[in-house]
Amino acid sequence: MPNVHVPGALRTLTGGAADVAVAAVTVRDAIAALDRLHPGIAARVLDGAGALRPFIRVFVAGDDAGLDTAVGERDEIAIVPAIAGGRDA
Amino acid sequence: MHGVREPAVTRATLVGAGGLGGPLALALGAAGIELTIVDPDAVEASNLHRQIQFTPADLGKAKASALAGAVVARGGVARGYRTRWTADDADDLSGDSDLIVDGCDDPATKFAVADWAVAHGRPYVIAAALRFGGNAMVGAPGAACYRCLFEEPVDAATCQAAGVLGPVVGAIGGVAAALAIGLARGDRSHAGSIFVFDDLRSSSEPRIVRFGPRPGCPSCARAPIDPLAARTLVAEVR
Repeated sequence: MPNVHVPGALRTLTGGAADVAVAAVTVRDAIAALDRLHPGIAARVLDGAGALRPFIRVFVAGDDAGLDTAVGERDEIAIVPAIAGGRDA
Repeated sequence: MHGVREPAVTRATLVGAGGLGGPLALALGAAGIELTIVDPDAVEASNLHRQIQFTPADLGKAKASALAGAVVARGGVARGYRTRWTADDADDLSGDSDLIVDGCDDPATKFAVADWAVAHGRPYVIAAALRFGGNAMVGAPGAACYRCLFEEPVDAATCQAAGVLGPVVGAIGGVAAALAIGLARGDRSHAGSIFVFDDLRSSSEPRIVRFGPRPGCPSCARAPIDPLAARTLVAEVR
């Protein structure tokens, strides 16, 4: 199954898991599958219309990708969010 | 400076004098780069655990001038301005800079810095840290830009609420400084790339993503060099 690499900023939603295997044939499928396993993550990645949020970028096997990009069994789907500074942890 | 290779760039603007700005300023200053440091804030007691360039004697002082003082104390050249870097004042603050480096905590300012750098043909680094990781993006004329990567700023309140672990900013700031010094010496090999550190507690290896220009990018449309015409960048992840 393809693997979704979850960025550090979203791992509070995956119980700390950095990589999650999902059954999917497109990026959109993968995000939906990830959200079924870890509810709430799709809302952080997609806007209300179901499009990628403008501060989120997705790469499949290292290539720029969109929600309709096909994913293979061994592909890694990397979610890369824009971040800025924080205060205290 | 004895033993230090003279950089091609002699002047740089550093936006942000906090957790990322500290290691950036000290490293760039020690590399012989003359710095203009810009930050609107004063040093507070709550800053000291992760902004280790400051001491209790700096409490209440402008961060920009206190950090410039730390650079000067180590033999560097720096001046500090207590103001928020904005596009309106950018030409005055950064017009004489050959390189611009962002380490501030405001998402909108990061985009403004990148947009200004692209429009004025300056190489730049945008650094950020959050929770246990961070990233550093490298830009240069002719390469894909920060707005090609991310179209709009993330919500600032979200970032600040999430926080950042103190030592993380030192690590990310150090990486950003190395990339900036590379640019200063003319190394554009990482232009159009972002170095992503997900969680420094578990891995110090970055995910390096090289991305291509985004057709229709409004920032690139104002660039003196069209990234779509300048070169073809192939996306890759290592």
